[in-house]
Amino acid sequence: MSPPDMTAIPANPPRRALPLHRELDRVWRNGPGLWGQVTSVSHTTLGLRFMATAFVFFGIGGLLSMLIRAQLATPNSAFLDTALYNQIFTMHGSIMMFLFAIPMLEGLAMYLLPKMLGTRDLAFPRLSALGYWCYLLGGSILITALLAGVAPADGWFMYTPLSGKTYSPGINADVWLLGVTFVEISALAAAIELMVSILRLRAPGMTLTQMPLFAWYILGTAAMMLAGFPPLILGSVLLEMERAFGWPFFDPERGGDPLLWQHLFWLFGHPEVYIIFLPAAGVLSTVIPVLCRTKIVGYGAIVAAILGMVFLSFGLWVHHMFTVGIPHLALAFFSAASMLVAVPTAVQIFAWIGTMWRGRPELKLPMLYILGFFFTFVMGGLTGVMLAVVPFNWQAHDTAFVTAHLHYVLIGGFVFPMLAGVAWWMPLMSGRRRIKGLGEAAFWLILIGFHGTFFLMHLTGLMGMPRRIPTYADNPEWMGLNLSSSFFGFVMTIGFALFAIDLILQAGFGKRSVRDPWQAPSLDWAMALPPPNYNFASLPGVELQQAGAAGAMLKLARGEGFLPGAPRGRREILVTSVGAARPQHVALLPFNTALPLVLALAICAFVLLMLAGFYAVAPVALIPVVGLIWAWARRAVAAVDAAPVEIAPGQFLPVHPEGGATLTQSGLTGLLFANGTFLASLLFGLAFISLVSPGPPRPVWHADGTVLLAAAAVVALLAAGALGARWALARVEAARPAGAVLIGAVIVNLLALAGLAALAFWLPAPTRHAGDAVRAALVAYVGLHIAIATLFSAFALDQARRGELTPASPGALRNWGLWQRYTLAAAALAMAALWAQEAGA
Amino acid sequence: MRRVGGMVWLAWLIAGPTAWAAAFSVAYGLHGLGCELGWPALSLGPVSLQRVAIALPSLAAILLCLVLLARVSTALGPEAGIPRLGLWIGLVATLYTMAPVLVATSC
Amino acid sequence: MKCAALATVPLVLAGCTGPLSTLTPSGPIAQDIAWLWWALLAGAALLALMVFVLVALGFGRPREVAEGRWVFGMGVWFSLAVLTVTLAGALWVGERILPHGPALEVHAHARQWSWTFTHPGATGPTESEGVLHIPAGQPVDVLITSSDVIHSFWVPQLGGKMDAIPGRQNRLRIEASRPGTYEGLCAEFCGLEHASMRFEVIAHDPAAWPPLPTMEGSRP
Repeated sequence: MSPPDMTAIPANPPRRALPLHRELDRVWRNGPGLWGQVTSVSHTTLGLRFMATAFVFFGIGGLLSMLIRAQLATPNSAFLDTALYNQIFTMHGSIMMFLFAIPMLEGLAMYLLPKMLGTRDLAFPRLSALGYWCYLLGGSILITALLAGVAPADGWFMYTPLSGKTYSPGINADVWLLGVTFVEISALAAAIELMVSILRLRAPGMTLTQMPLFAWYILGTAAMMLAGFPPLILGSVLLEMERAFGWPFFDPERGGDPLLWQHLFWLFGHPEVYIIFLPAAGVLSTVIPVLCRTKIVGYGAIVAAILGMVFLSFGLWVHHMFTVGIPHLALAFFSAASMLVAVPTAVQIFAWIGTMWRGRPELKLPMLYILGFFFTFVMGGLTGVMLAVVPFNWQAHDTAFVTAHLHYVLIGGFVFPMLAGVAWWMPLMSGRRRIKGLGEAAFWLILIGFHGTFFLMHLTGLMGMPRRIPTYADNPEWMGLNLSSSFFGFVMTIGFALFAIDLILQAGFGKRSVRDPWQAPSLDWAMALPPPNYNFASLPGVELQQAGAAGAMLKLARGEGFLPGAPRGRREILVTSVGAARPQHVALLPFNTALPLVLALAICAFVLLMLAGFYAVAPVALIPVVGLIWAWARRAVAAVDAAPVEIAPGQFLPVHPEGGATLTQSGLTGLLFANGTFLASLLFGLAFISLVSPGPPRPVWHADGTVLLAAAAVVALLAAGALGARWALARVEAARPAGAVLIGAVIVNLLALAGLAALAFWLPAPTRHAGDAVRAALVAYVGLHIAIATLFSAFALDQARRGELTPASPGALRNWGLWQRYTLAAAALAMAALWAQEAGA
Repeated sequence: MRRVGGMVWLAWLIAGPTAWAAAFSVAYGLHGLGCELGWPALSLGPVSLQRVAIALPSLAAILLCLVLLARVSTALGPEAGIPRLGLWIGLVATLYTMAPVLVATSC
Repeated sequence: MKCAALATVPLVLAGCTGPLSTLTPSGPIAQDIAWLWWALLAGAALLALMVFVLVALGFGRPREVAEGRWVFGMGVWFSLAVLTVTLAGALWVGERILPHGPALEVHAHARQWSWTFTHPGATGPTESEGVLHIPAGQPVDVLITSSDVIHSFWVPQLGGKMDAIPGRQNRLRIEASRPGTYEGLCAEFCGLEHASMRFEVIAHDPAAWPPLPTMEGSRP
C-alpha cells in the first residue's frame, strides 16, 4: 500500500458535529474531579498547568526581587542579613531561569503545537505528565528549602570552589544541584516530545517549509535544549559527586579545575538565553502578521535566522568568562561569535518591522506588549553587543550594568512577548473575553516600572557598583540611583499583580468569546473555545490547512478531514513523514494514568535520600524507578485489533509503521542525541582536566595487561550483544522464535557488566586526583549504560516469552538494538579516551 | 522534500552551521593545545605553527561549504532555498569568527 | 575634569563621579576603555533611535515592501557592517590594553575576605594588607592569585578587572597617570563578606619610588 497522495484524497462525508464531539470526548476527556486532573495526560491540560505553575513561581521570584530592592534602597540597610540576602538573590535567579522561563515556554509550546500542527496530542502524552510532576516536585524542594532557611546561597551560577563542600558545608548547594537536575528531567522530556511531534505529527501534506513559523522556533528550541542541558546536568552530577564522595573534579589542590565548572555551566548557560528567546520570538512571528493583517516578511530568511541562532549561540559561552584569564586570541573568537549572533536577531527584527510596514498594525493589547518588546529588547541587544567587546567587558563585567542588560534582554525578549502571547491566546485558553482597560493599565505600569528600575541601573554599574552586595555604606553616590530603581521596581510589581488579576477576572468572569476572535489564518483557532482535549474532530488536509481558521473550523468539526471521530474507542492520531508529511500510519496514544505521578514520586524519593546524605540507601530507591519504567513500557498501548484504519473513503493506514520508524524510535533517537552531548561534555572534561588544568600532576597509573584485557572484553561483549539484537530482529521478522538468542544477549550483557566491574576494581581511587575521578566517572557512565542495555534485553526476552514479538510489531527489539549500539560506541570511545589519557601522561 | 526525504533535507539544512561548529570547536581546542605545547614560538615561514593550526580547520569548513553550495541546487531542486542560506551562514560565520586569528595575540 | 569634558553628553554631571566610577578614569588603560564606552553609547543610541523610528513609521498606511531589502539589506548587511566596525574597535583597544612589553610586577593575593599585596621595596619585596603600592606614570602588571575561592581584582579608575582563581595566576595591566589613592574591590561573588572585600591602590610619585617602609602608611 503506497502512501496516499494528499491532494487526491476525497474528503470524508460531512456528519453532524455534536454526536461526533460526544464520541471523541468520551475517549479523550480527563477523568472527573481531582483524580481526573492527577491522571490527565492531555497536552491541553498539562500545557495550561505548566504555564499556571510557572506563573506562580514567577510570583515567588518576583517577591524575592522586591526583597532585594528593599535591601538596596538605602546604603546600609539592616533589612536582611547577608546570609539570607545571598540565599534570596541566588533563588531569585534560579527560580526565574529554571522554574519560570523554561517551564513557561515548555507549557506554551505543549499547549499550542498540536493545535497549530493539526493533530490531537503530543507524541508521548505520559512523558508530558511525567515532566510536569518532576517540575512540580523539584520546584517544591527548592521552595521548601527557601522557607526552611537552607536555600542555596552561592549565586545561580554556583561557581566552584565556593559551592564546594569546604566553603559551602550545608545542604544548601546540594538542594540546588539535585533540585535543579530533577527539574531538568522535564526540560529534556519536553524537548524530545516537542521535536518528535513537530517532525512526525504534522497534519498530512504540511511540509516542513509550510509549517507555521512557531513550529520552526520550537524545533530550534528543542534541538538547543537537547544539546544545551546535558552539559549543565553533567556539571551538576560531577559537583554533587565531589560534594558527596570527595571526587575532586573542581578542587585545585587535587588537580581539579574551577574553570571546568564554568565551561560546563556556560556551555549550557549561554544557549539558555536563546532557548528562552526563540519561543518568544515565535510568538512575535505568529502574532505580528495577524495583527497587521498581512503575511510575515521573509519566511525563509526567518527559518535561516533560527538555524543560525541555534548554532551560533553555542559559540559564545566564553563571553561570560572574559575575565578568567583566557588568551586574547581565544577571547577574540568568542567576541566575534558574540557579534555574529546579533545578525540573525537583526534579521528577525527587521522582518517584523517590514511586516508592520506592509500591513496595517492594530493597536490591540498584544500589540502594546509587542511595542514594549521592541523598545526594551533593542536596547538590551545593543548593550549585549557592548558586553561582547572585551575591553568594555573588563570594566562592566559583574557590575550592575550586567544586571540591567540581562533584565532588558530577558524581560524585553521573553516576558513582554510572553505577555503578548498570553493576551493573544487567553480567549482560546479560557474561552472568554477580557475586561477592557485593566490590561492596558497593567501594561503601562509594567513598562514604566521596568525602565524606571533598570535604565539608570546601567549607570549605577558604570559608577562601579558590583553585583551581589547587600550594602554600600562607603558609596553614597550610588544611593539616589538605587532608591529610584527600588521605587520603580515596586511600580513594576504592581503592574504584574494587575496583570494577574486581569487574567483571573477574565478566566472567571469574562464574557464568552466568539470563536476565532482574531480572524487568524492558523489551525490553533479552528476549534471550539476552550478547546476539547482532542482538538480536532477530524484532521485537516492541505486544503483545510490553507483555508484559515474560519474556513476550516466547521468542516473539521463535521468530520470532513481525515480520521474522523473515535469509532474504535481508541486515541488515534496520524503519523506522517518528516519532510513532506505523507501519512505513514495511525498511532494509538495512551489513556489517562497515574503512572507518571507515581514514577515522579519514586524519583523524588531518590533525590530526597541523596539530599539527606543517605548515600548507601539511595540506590535502593532506584529499584522502584526501574520497576515503574518497566511497567510504563509494558502498558504502552498495543493494538488488539491491528486491522488497517480507514482515514478517508477508500484510504487505509496500518496501525504499525511499515518500514518507517515508530514514534518511540524517534524519541529514543532524540534521547541518544542528548546523551551523546552528555558524553561529549564528559570527554571534554577529561581532556580539560588532563591537558589544561594547572595544579599537581596526576600520579602515574600503571595500567597493566589485565586492565587492557578487561576493556577489550567489555567492548567485544557489547558488540556481541549488538549482533544479537540484529539477529533476534531478523528471526522475529522471519516469524521464527528468538528466545534463545535473547537469552544469549542477556548473558553477554551481564558478562560485559562484570568485565567493567573488574576494570573498575583495578582503577586508582577516584578521590586521589581529578584525573582519576574523571576516569572513574567515565567508567560509571559506561556501566550505567550497560546496565540499562541489560534491562532492555531482558525486557525483549520477556516479550518473547509472552509471544508478543511479531513480524509486524517486533516489540522492543529495534529500540533495544539502538540502545545497544549506542552503548557499544560509547564504551569503545570511553576505553579509547582512557587509553589516550594514560598514553598522554 | 518531495525530491529527497525529510531527514536528508534537514541534513542539508544544518550542514553549513555544523561545519562552522566543528571548525570552531577544533580551532578552540587546538588553540589551547598549542598554547600548552608552545606552538606560537615555532614559525612556519612568515606565520607561527599556532596560527596555521588554528586556521586549517576553518579553511576545511569553508571549502566544504563552497563545495556543497555548488551542489545544493542539483541535489534539492526547488527546495534548495533555505539549505542554501544555511550553507551561507556556515561560510560567513567561519570567515567571521576566524578573522581575529590573523591579528590577535595568541597566548 | 573628564566629566566636564563630557558635559555635552546628556547625563547628570554628578552621575559620572565617585571613587569607583569607570567614567572618571585616572590612567591610560581605563581612559581607553572609557572612550570606547562613549563611542559604543553614541552608536547604540543612534541605532536604537533608528529602530524606534522605523517601528513608528510602521503605523502608517500599508505599503509595498521589498522583502530582500528588509531581511538581507538591513538584517544581514547593515548589521554585519556595524558589527564588524565594533569588532575591529574591540580588537584594537583589546590589543592596546594587553600586557605587552616590560612592566613593574606586583602581586595581589586574595582570600576570603581580604587582599595581600606584594610590591618591590627599597629593601626587597614588601608585603602589605589591603593596600597596593604602585608608582604613577608607568604600567604595572598585577599578578593575581587566590588561596580559596574565586575573587576578582578591580580598580575601576585604573583598568579592567581580572579574576583571582585558585590554582592559577592571572596577569592584569593597570596604570595610574598621577599619584593618588584609588579604590578597588572584589568583583566576583565570593561568599558572606563579599561586599567588604575592598582595598586601596596608592600610586606614588615616581621620584619617591620605591617607597621607604616607614612611608607606606602615609598618603602621598
